[in-house]
Amino acid sequence: MIQFLLHVLVISSVTSCVTLGYNFVFGKGKILHFGQLVQTMVAAYGLWVPITQYGQPFFVGLCISISLLLIVTLLLSWLSMRLEPDGYGVLSIALHLIIIAIVLNWNSVTRGALGIPKIPRGILPSTTFGYAIVCVAVLAAWVFFLWRVDKGSFSRNLSALSENEWHAQSLGVSRARVHAIAFSIASGGSLISSILFSPYQGLLTPSDFHFPQMIFYVMCVVAGGPGKLWGVLGATTALVFLREGIRFVSISPSYIGPVQLLLFGAILFISVWIRRDTVFPKERKI
Amino acid sequence: MLDVKGLSFSIGNQPILSDVSFSVKEGEVIGLIGPNGSGKTTLFNVLSGFLNQTSGSITYKESDITNLSPYKRAHMGIGRVFQNFGIFREMTLEENVQVALEALPKNQKRELGDLKKVVKETLEIAGLQDSAKKKASSLSGGQMRLLEIARTLKSGNNLFLLDEPTAGVSPKMTNQIADMISTLKKDGKTVLIIEHDLPFIGKICDRVIVLDVGHIVLSDTPQNVKQSKELQEIYFGADPTT
Ligand SMILES: Nc1ncnc2c1ncn2[C@@H]1O[C@H](COP(=O)(O)OP(=O)(O)OP(=O)(O)O)[C@@H](O)[C@H]1O
Ligand SMILES: [Mg+2]
Repeated sequence: MIQFLLHVLVISSVTSCVTLGYNFVFGKGKILHFGQLVQTMVAAYGLWVPITQYGQPFFVGLCISISLLLIVTLLLSWLSMRLEPDGYGVLSIALHLIIIAIVLNWNSVTRGALGIPKIPRGILPSTTFGYAIVCVAVLAAWVFFLWRVDKGSFSRNLSALSENEWHAQSLGVSRARVHAIAFSIASGGSLISSILFSPYQGLLTPSDFHFPQMIFYVMCVVAGGPGKLWGVLGATTALVFLREGIRFVSISPSYIGPVQLLLFGAILFISVWIRRDTVFPKERKI
Repeated sequence: MLDVKGLSFSIGNQPILSDVSFSVKEGEVIGLIGPNGSGKTTLFNVLSGFLNQTSGSITYKESDITNLSPYKRAHMGIGRVFQNFGIFREMTLEENVQVALEALPKNQKRELGDLKKVVKETLEIAGLQDSAKKKASSLSGGQMRLLEIARTLKSGNNLFLLDEPTAGVSPKMTNQIADMISTLKKDGKTVLIIEHDLPFIGKICDRVIVLDVGHIVLSDTPQNVKQSKELQEIYFGADPTT
């Protein structure tokens, strides 16, 4: 039982780092972005491929990962400004599918569907207890950082833009700058999860990056209250507990998958229904 | 100060503005009138950079801003009051002002000094200092107008584009807004103001431009415009002398 709780603590801390970052784009910024896993995949493969496949030190992998992430972040924020909001929403899904197709088929580098085994923990603790402490500490630092950001002027710019683009721009708010920062924050969450999650599993596999995982993020943000730091943190923790805990309910293992899907479908439906006034922007332009 | 040359704008193949040209001198207060749908708000949207003109050019303070993005025009001191309230309803009154001050270019921000103090002063101008922490959605239409105007005044602008600032506002508040505009004039600021209230226009404007189906049909002093036959026809629907 203790082992299970520690395991869930690791997973929920790492997932919260991602959802809290994503919350700035989709929640507070109301940018229809469903490509968070594009950032996570680029960060994770950019980090671990050089280390495991080409024997590079961690630091080199980190530099490669951050550089690739930066390019993807700028690309995403540029696209999000060029396209109509709904168009960008669809495009971000397409980008996700493209990246996962590349990961699955570029066997010589990513080992395709098999994934990359033996991801080293390096200096990270080898016990689940130690790992949980590290993850919670990292999450605490990330939350503190985002809490400061949330109180600052960037956050007000983002809220203003999400409520009415024209009104915000007429005050001198630069959309390009605000979008770039919002996507960078989301990428920060992806980077943290790449560093912590794969070594915990000891495995980097594309099966962690399928679209239902993205829907899980959306659900955490919507259920917690779009833009609400503490709400999203609470919702992510609760939903990860639910997702992992369901395995212990005494039903046949072959039903667990469908039951999870049904349950999460219901939760997503209900939370979108309850928050239908706040999830999507009311007026984007005049 | 502002030079607009041959400005046209169309949606699809439907022209909304056709060959609009005028210039505004520094310190002038200009009224822009015309029937509903004549393109007044569209002209402001092109001037602010939200809509791209199909042809023509805009020069502001000797530089060509025709293709400049909206936020850069704002940084150059072009302030805007929207017909449909440019207030962020989900934010508090205080944040509504804060966001404008924080978006100013760095040197202007430095000149303002303590932003908190300026926020307070701005709310005082609008008479809303006691509701600083309330959400803007709790305000009445007239209060939103006052807050928006006060915010534009305090954001170091030089050219003000005011789109029907007195619509839906009580006579007392209308006078208050007229006073604000007079103060702007005294400070040498330039104002373009869209209004349907002709007496109001007559009181505060140096010159009136009349727009009809996207064309400028008149540009003259308020007295001459009021007496003109064209205005009677396009604005009141009939010539009262006949
Ligand atoms: N996004 C749009 N799509 C289609 N037509 C538009 C759009 N925006 C404006 N128009 C048309 O452009 C014309 C001018 O509109 P505009 O809002 O500039 O008028 P206005 O002079 O400000 O009117 P009012 O006095 O009612 O505010 C109208 O005929 C309107 O239907
Ligand atoms: Mg109008």
